[in-house]
Amino acid sequence: MRKLFKKPFLSISILMLVLLSACSGKSSETTGEGTSSKEGDVINAKIGVISYITGPGAAYGEAITNGFKLAQKEINDKGEVNINLVIEDSAGKQEEALSAAQKLMSDDSIVALLGPTLSTEMNVVGPEAELNGIPIMGTSTTAEGIPQIGEYVFRNSLPEALAIPTSIKKAVEKNSVKKVAILYGNDDVFTKSGFDTMKKVAEDMGLEIVTIETFQKGQSDYNAQLTKIKGLEPDLILCSALYNEGAVIMDQARKMGVDVPFVGGNGFNSPQVIEIAGKAADGLIVATPWFGDKENPKVQAFNEKYEAEYKMKPDQFAAQAYDALYIMAEALKNAGEADRDKLKEALLEIKDLEGILGKFSFDKDGDVVMDPTVLIIKDGKFKVFE
Amino acid sequence: MMLVEIVNPYYLQVGSFILINIILGLSIYVTLSSGQLSLGNAGFMGIGAYTSALLTLNFDVPIIVGVIAGAVVAGLFGILVGIPSLRLQGVYLAIATLGFGEVIRVFFVNWESVTKGAVGISGIPHIGREIFMVLKDAGFDPAIIGLKNNQFVFLTVFFVLLLINILLVWFIFRQQNSRIGRAFAAIKMDEKAAESMGINITYYKVLAFVQGALISGFAGALFAHVMSYISPADFSYHRAVEILIFAVFGGSEVIVGAIFGATFLTLMPEMLRFISEYRYMIYGLILLLMMAFRPQGLIDVQVLHWFQKLRLPKRRAEHGSKNQKHL
Repeated sequence: MRKLFKKPFLSISILMLVLLSACSGKSSETTGEGTSSKEGDVINAKIGVISYITGPGAAYGEAITNGFKLAQKEINDKGEVNINLVIEDSAGKQEEALSAAQKLMSDDSIVALLGPTLSTEMNVVGPEAELNGIPIMGTSTTAEGIPQIGEYVFRNSLPEALAIPTSIKKAVEKNSVKKVAILYGNDDVFTKSGFDTMKKVAEDMGLEIVTIETFQKGQSDYNAQLTKIKGLEPDLILCSALYNEGAVIMDQARKMGVDVPFVGGNGFNSPQVIEIAGKAADGLIVATPWFGDKENPKVQAFNEKYEAEYKMKPDQFAAQAYDALYIMAEALKNAGEADRDKLKEALLEIKDLEGILGKFSFDKDGDVVMDPTVLIIKDGKFKVFE
Repeated sequence: MMLVEIVNPYYLQVGSFILINIILGLSIYVTLSSGQLSLGNAGFMGIGAYTSALLTLNFDVPIIVGVIAGAVVAGLFGILVGIPSLRLQGVYLAIATLGFGEVIRVFFVNWESVTKGAVGISGIPHIGREIFMVLKDAGFDPAIIGLKNNQFVFLTVFFVLLLINILLVWFIFRQQNSRIGRAFAAIKMDEKAAESMGINITYYKVLAFVQGALISGFAGALFAHVMSYISPADFSYHRAVEILIFAVFGGSEVIVGAIFGATFLTLMPEMLRFISEYRYMIYGLILLLMMAFRPQGLIDVQVLHWFQKLRLPKRRAEHGSKNQKHL
């Protein structure tokens, strides 16, 4: 009996010993290679990246890391700043994102973090980065309250709270809208936070909300909600959905004879909508920082380089990541050396930096200040909505 | 100086996740030891996490009270679910409990006024930081033992969890060799036979189920206070399957199996970080090979005996005289 009683303790203690020995072995490894110092005029900096590389959302992580790598190459070629990226996978899980962040943060030679991909992950990683005093910048986190986590938390992705009001205002002006219907996915952080903004904007503008309908992730039949909406005859439908559900909703709405325009959030903004819904996608209005067909030499050059390198068209995630690294490089240059606190101060001072998304500045919280472009789908193509 | 180098927040963080996952693995081990396959542990975990998070945030309850309340509420739900689903066995129970877990998740999504829906709850008090604050007010400075603040925070979390784990393993181990444990084992072997021997099946089955619910609620509450942020997506059916895999991979017949499974499966993705994109492929492959060659899990009673045999003769040779070798 006593012998049996000892076993689990023994195994636990062995496990912990193994763990501890693993710890000591590795930590010495990482300290050896830390060399982020100033050599001549070139600022050497190591930046950690936490990205969603494996799992169902891996496409986002891929686009984002591609954007970073492309920008890294260009920046390093210029020779003013030499950036080293250390990329870690989060698999879209908060625990893994936190572990990855801890791993990167405990390396003292890393001056800043880029990522993680999802807002849920940022909610966990952000406070930890704040505690450790390392600047962290989200390139795809659009939910409310992210930069407000702390002084060290930034983002360069256009939040829903900025994109949605712009698109609603433009749509309302253009179509003299009085009655709106809202449709949203209530089990996803992204679509839920988009809905909160939509509702608030509609109320502030004095629009009559005829109904609020919900759906769940992966639903395929929206006829019940759409029938109700059709009967109430709104002038505009505000739809907070990700593109895969959103496209199906538009398709079914058009088939049912609902032909009023739709306003969507950031997640609705994808060329995939046109591919899935075809002609039914006409009349979708979105506000976006990224418009690939913009006649701007910088944007076109980026498109070409990206396509040559990765054999596909860049999306907004790649574009945001690309700009994010340029922002970091600019801040590093202004900071003069690779130091976490100096970098944070320099980031806050970034103003009107010209990137492929347009002119970019941070506000006092570290949130985005920029003008989004409002787009509408017409004849199966995204066009500027004027 | 030595301490500063060894106490790396990253390793401690991974260690803390391992310890939480061990508790989760144990929660399903207990229900499995009475022959019931429950997939509702993610749901119970969610109940524990939300109860504790909401209590500590809205009513300023100390974390320890919140965690205990979380476990108790999860346990109460365990009774509610356990009694009616007594009639179900095997796969049918698995499906019913899986359904329960989803109901709980959808409930958290829709009860927006309290749970903030899919957005989740952030800013939940952190175990380590709270303890640190209390000690700091009492005039303690981690620099005395040569640690930075954040190292100290993670070290406390790790040791608190380790202590909880040791107590829990000790409890389950004692129970296993008691009358209750024997009753569980008898029911697992053959329910009818156990009943005819005079074992109160209803009582013991509900007891095992409730214990599982209680422990997973407990783990959930700890999870909430280690992550500082929870959302309904954390308690989806993926989590339920993950918990089941902990026990099944390591071996669901012995307690060491669940501990080993949780440790190994949490540690592996971290160890494989250097191959980034491919690490989950290897994870899947290992699971596949495992189930093909050792469906009973990596560690079972035979393996434990084998280990014992391996150890015992050595010990005798060390302590005994040379003559004994010939006997």
